[in-house]
Amino acid sequence: MFFHMVLERNMQLHPRHFGRDLRDKLVTKLMKDVEGTCRLLNCDSTLMFFFNFLGIDVIEREDSTIHLLCVYCTCYLCYYGSGHHGFVVAITGIDNVGKGLIRDGTGFVTFPVKYQCVVFRPFKGEILEAVVTMVNKMGFFAEAGPVQVFVSNHLIPDDMEFQAGDIPNYTTYDGSVKIQKESEVRLKIIGTRVDATEIFCIGTIKDDFLGVISDPGANS
Amino acid sequence: MSAEEEENAAELKIPDEFLKAKCLMNCEVSLILEHKYEQLQQMADDPMNQMSQVFEKSLQYVKRFSRYKNPDAVRQVREYQLAEFELCVLGNLCPETVEEAIAMVPSIKVPIISIAALYTRGRAHDDEAIEKMLNDLSLIKKFE
Repeated sequence: MFFHMVLERNMQLHPRHFGRDLRDKLVTKLMKDVEGTCRLLNCDSTLMFFFNFLGIDVIEREDSTIHLLCVYCTCYLCYYGSGHHGFVVAITGIDNVGKGLIRDGTGFVTFPVKYQCVVFRPFKGEILEAVVTMVNKMGFFAEAGPVQVFVSNHLIPDDMEFQAGDIPNYTTYDGSVKIQKESEVRLKIIGTRVDATEIFCIGTIKDDFLGVISDPGANS
Repeated sequence: MSAEEEENAAELKIPDEFLKAKCLMNCEVSLILEHKYEQLQQMADDPMNQMSQVFEKSLQYVKRFSRYKNPDAVRQVREYQLAEFELCVLGNLCPETVEEAIAMVPSIKVPIISIAALYTRGRAHDDEAIEKMLNDLSLIKKFE
C-alpha cells in the first residue's frame, strides 16, 4: 500500500559544499541517497544531539544499520535500528532543514532534514494485485510495484497444475484459468522480509476471491 | 520484533505511524509520479538515468492498476466513513459484491464497541450499508 508520510533524516555534508547553493546541494544529496531505498528508521536529531553530548557518535552505515561509537575509547556501544517504512518511491517536498551540527573531529556538518515522500509498504494480511514475472514448478513470482512476491505451489489452489514448456504456466484441469508470465493476479500477503535494499514477500492465492484477474493480452 | 509479528492488515493492525499517515490509492499515486516524471524530463536531458528502478517499477505498476482515471471521482470515493487504509484497499481492488468486499477488507465488518463509539458515529457496517457503498463506488467508476 502506498502512503504519503513525513520522514526525517540526518544529512551529512562536506564543508566544500558550503556556500550559496548549500540547501540545493543538500536536497540533491537527499534525493540521491533516499529515493529508491527501503532504509531503516533514522536516529532523530534530538537523540543524536543527546548522544553527541555524551561523547557518543552516531554513525549510519551503508547497510542502513546505525552504530553508536564512543569517541573517547572508539569502541562500538550498540547497534540501533527500528522498524521500516518500506520503499521510498519519490520525495514530494522538503518541509524543513534544521540547523547544522558540526561533528567532532571530522568537520562534516549534519543537517536534520524533514521531507515528505511517497512510500510503498506491504503489510501481512494485505490483499493487492500483482503481475506475474516468472513461473516454475515451485510456484510463481509476481511483482507489485517495487516489491517481489513469491507464491508457493502449496498456496496455489489444488485444482491448478503446473505445465512446463515454452511458456510455463499453472492451469486448471478444464483449462479455463491460466497463470503465466504477465498475468495479473490478486494475492494476499502472508509474510514480509526486509533487508537493506529490498523487500520480499510471500503470498497466497488460495483464499476466496483471489487468483487471476485477467489473461495476458486480453486487455489493453 | 514482536510488534511486527502481530501486524495484520486484515484486522487493521498496522503500526501507528501508518494509521496516521495518508494512505494513497494507485490512481492518486499515478498522478503524483507522473507529475514528478514530467518535472524530471524538464530538468534533465536524460530522465531515464535519474529515475531509480523503484520509481520506474512503481510508475508502471500504478498506471496499470489504476481504477479511477478522474481525480474528482477519487475525491468522491474518499468521502466514505472508513479508515484510510480500508478505503484505499477498496478503491484499488473495486470488489463487486458484499462478500468480496468483506473478504478483501475483513475489518469493515468489525464493530468498534467502546464508549467513544457511542458518542461518535458507530463504524459497524451492516451488509446493506456495504452494498450501497459498493454500488456508489461502481457508479463513480462508470460515470467518471
